[in-house]
Amino acid sequence: MTARRPLLEALVAMLARDDVLVSSLGANSRYLPHLNVTAPVFALCDSMGAAIPLALGMALQRPDRHVVALEGDGSLLMCPNVLATVAAARPSNLTALLWVNGHYESSGGQALPSAPVDWSALAKGFGIANVERVGDVPALRAAFPRARAAKAPALLVVDVAFDPSEPIPPYSERPDEIRARFRIA
Amino acid sequence: MSGAGRIVAGLEAAGVTLAASVPDTWIGKLMATVRRSRTIRAVDAAREEEAVAIACGATLAGGRGAVLIQNAGLFNCGGVLAGLVSLYRIPCFFIVSYRGDRRDPIYYHEPKGRVTEPTLSAWGLPFAIADHTTDLEAQVVRGVESAVASSGPAVLLISGEDIE
Repeated sequence: MTARRPLLEALVAMLARDDVLVSSLGANSRYLPHLNVTAPVFALCDSMGAAIPLALGMALQRPDRHVVALEGDGSLLMCPNVLATVAAARPSNLTALLWVNGHYESSGGQALPSAPVDWSALAKGFGIANVERVGDVPALRAAFPRARAAKAPALLVVDVAFDPSEPIPPYSERPDEIRARFRIA
Repeated sequence: MSGAGRIVAGLEAAGVTLAASVPDTWIGKLMATVRRSRTIRAVDAAREEEAVAIACGATLAGGRGAVLIQNAGLFNCGGVLAGLVSLYRIPCFFIVSYRGDRRDPIYYHEPKGRVTEPTLSAWGLPFAIADHTTDLEAQVVRGVESAVASSGPAVLLISGEDIE
């Protein structure tokens, strides 16, 4: 299974300056300050489950921008209902990436409840038609342009390796710094 | 004009662009009026924490978000209030139906009413109780402006008679 960092690097390389990136707490938020991201980034360090609804609010407010949300499977497991909210709101400019590693990585690597959740089926069941499962960088590079071209909410279910020894950098930006810098022109 | 109309006029006057909601009987009636607004986007959320994050997203994107929920729903929101609204200092105005206060005729809401103001106080949420006998529109505008001025939450508690 592919490690997180090359997947994240491949994603941010596909983002345009006019896109907007919202990241849930944890590894993605901790990596992003160390990557070259041209789009405005709002990175959470708390509030599990907030990334997708936060991105939805941005997408509805700014239909001229494509908003990309990064969420973890542990976070979405707390509030899968948000998929119904997204499907009902039908933003044409929202793509969510669900990073599936089966663990609460940022809280010490505890395993999620061991139910074999079929995220793709769940999202489709909630009414999100554009769902793809990707497991490596080439698949992500192929699927992301399709998602952003869908003109309807899209979800990419990204299988990512869980490595308890992965040297994830610590948070390097404070929330007030993130908030002060975040601007959608 | 109905109370709901006066409240929505206040949201419009305060520049609110998006209202995210989970309804109860009273909030549902209010949202019916919101949906007729030409300037406010009504968003139906499945759960209250989502509504808070959706409203915050609208605000971060240059609009003004508001949250319309029941007090029981506000009780669900402790985590997102602390970890998003307060931590990132995002203005967030709430209209919350005050179920179980002395004006609520439904007996089973009483436990929620009993803990509403103590909970708001304990969580550090500035709040006001709407008074439909005075300028309801201005009370809404003050609430939104209070949230903006403090870069944080502000709550206006309403009763069923405030939307009649």
